[in-house]
Amino acid sequence: MARNSWTRYSNRTFYLFVSPWVLGFLLLTAVPLGYAFGVSLTNFDGSSPRWRWVGFRNYVELFGDAEAWHAMLRTVAYAAIAVPLSVAGALGLAVLLNRRLIAVGLWRTIFFLPSVVPVVAMAIMWKLVLNRDAGIANAILHVVGIKPIAWLVDPMAFYALIVLTLWGLGGGMVIMLAALQGVPTELEEAAVVDGANRWRVFRHITVPMISPVIFFQVVTGVIATLQIVVQPLLLAETNSISGVGQVPQSTHLYMVQVYQEFFTSNRFGYGSAMLWVYFLVILAFTLLIQRSSRSWVHYQVDTDSDR
Amino acid sequence: MHVRRPAPTGVHRVSSRKPRLSAGAVYVLLMAVAVLFVGPFVWLVLAALKTRDEWASVPTHILPRQAQWENFTHALTDINFPAYAVNSLFLSTMYAVLVTASSAVVGFGFARLRGSGKRGLFLVLLSTMMLPQILTLLPTYVLFSRLGLVNTYWPWVLWGVASSPYLIFLFRQFFAAIPSELEDAAIIDGCGWGRIFVRIFLPLSRPVLLTSFLLSFVWTWGDYIAPALLLDVDHTTLSVAITAWYRDPHGNAIPTVQAAAAALYVLPALLIFLFAQRYFIRSIVSSGVKG
Repeated sequence: MARNSWTRYSNRTFYLFVSPWVLGFLLLTAVPLGYAFGVSLTNFDGSSPRWRWVGFRNYVELFGDAEAWHAMLRTVAYAAIAVPLSVAGALGLAVLLNRRLIAVGLWRTIFFLPSVVPVVAMAIMWKLVLNRDAGIANAILHVVGIKPIAWLVDPMAFYALIVLTLWGLGGGMVIMLAALQGVPTELEEAAVVDGANRWRVFRHITVPMISPVIFFQVVTGVIATLQIVVQPLLLAETNSISGVGQVPQSTHLYMVQVYQEFFTSNRFGYGSAMLWVYFLVILAFTLLIQRSSRSWVHYQVDTDSDR
Repeated sequence: MHVRRPAPTGVHRVSSRKPRLSAGAVYVLLMAVAVLFVGPFVWLVLAALKTRDEWASVPTHILPRQAQWENFTHALTDINFPAYAVNSLFLSTMYAVLVTASSAVVGFGFARLRGSGKRGLFLVLLSTMMLPQILTLLPTYVLFSRLGLVNTYWPWVLWGVASSPYLIFLFRQFFAAIPSELEDAAIIDGCGWGRIFVRIFLPLSRPVLLTSFLLSFVWTWGDYIAPALLLDVDHTTLSVAITAWYRDPHGNAIPTVQAAAAALYVLPALLIFLFAQRYFIRSIVSSGVKG
């Protein structure tokens, strides 16, 4: 066989194999995003054919939209509370499980289980638990002498949503646990020999060693909390997409606001502008956090390859 | 690493002198957290076994006086539960099969083949994992409704064939770790890449195929927003059906029956998880630790 006619790797084969994703990405991600940008420049209402171009008027209006700003700030506040709590909780549980325990597997299963519960079932369960009159939460508080708390309306709904998020931290815990098991025990033992106490070992050896995993958890956690929309809808009294108007103020997050623009106000153009602004915000956030990570995330692999 | 090794007793004394959680305290702590994590499941089942009056009674009764199994009968018959269960099952299975097959193919391409622009493409792939899907879902919904794809299962076919970045990554990690001797031999024998993939790599990847299938099945089984937007009353899935349609003649939700329905709905997901837990953990760990 002539040397030139046979190549082990041809471009055509590679592109043939990855074509499902490339085409899927173009048609189901890039095109919808581009389409949304087009719609954001119109006053389209979702059905009537009589729409017209309005230029960047939607964006200008959005800039002065107090409700949208509030929704955005609320979302940031929610992420700022929920993400650190769930990452710290996942790490804490992982540390507890990363020692010789009776029935480690059982504990792990118990903490992991809620994270696979579908969001609909999760919402139904927590509405039952947090029900003002019949819920177990208030029944327990009653024993301690605390008056019934209306968990699912303002202002407590915000905290109910955080509880719901924390309940699903088992996925993060499993990742943290695997990371902890990857930390070489010689390092920790050496530090103990040198007289470091457990907290200092944890703080100065364990945490830096698993910092890439913590970083990954923070990033995915923030992305996940920014796109939350179903939970507030389902926790609200009338739980459906059409019932978006009944979502309590305190859980009226940015994406809920977007839904309201789309399906209550039929303002598809304005809603699309909101989506695009959010897209840019998330993009900026991701870039920013990637940059900041260089100062505090310790990548073992990178330093090895530098040598 | 060269470490001075003191006598083992010395090490022991150092660590036990420091304040640390005793074994008993750890178990108490774990128990307390476990109660919070398991509690909602228990409360759901208890609610599903109460009469409506018992559920609403003040002060709260923890246990039902007599188990009301007919709540489950109502859950199955008040709405067309079996039909929605079939819809959910069909949609989840179809999507899981398609997305597993396509993601395996693409993952193989990224792991074993070379092409110009591969690095750049892979970076795009990784960054789409960070892109919130909710952003594209709304414009996709508008596009699909203009194309007449609403109230059909075609969107799930398209999403399945389009593969999933997360699963592609899973397959890529697995395929990349396989030594190349096998494919070298096959190439010398004149095998094309298609046959190498099907004959050599696919049979080796059974655990990953199963992981991918189970994960994507549970995703679709649990998805709410896509069926809520795209499917009408006849085509929709259990997740949408159990959310809104257990009502008494006055239009009020019936919590006990809804609890029974939710228990039936969540059961398949939990069973899949319990029986295949190690697959779930493996996938989540390989994406979270190495990624």
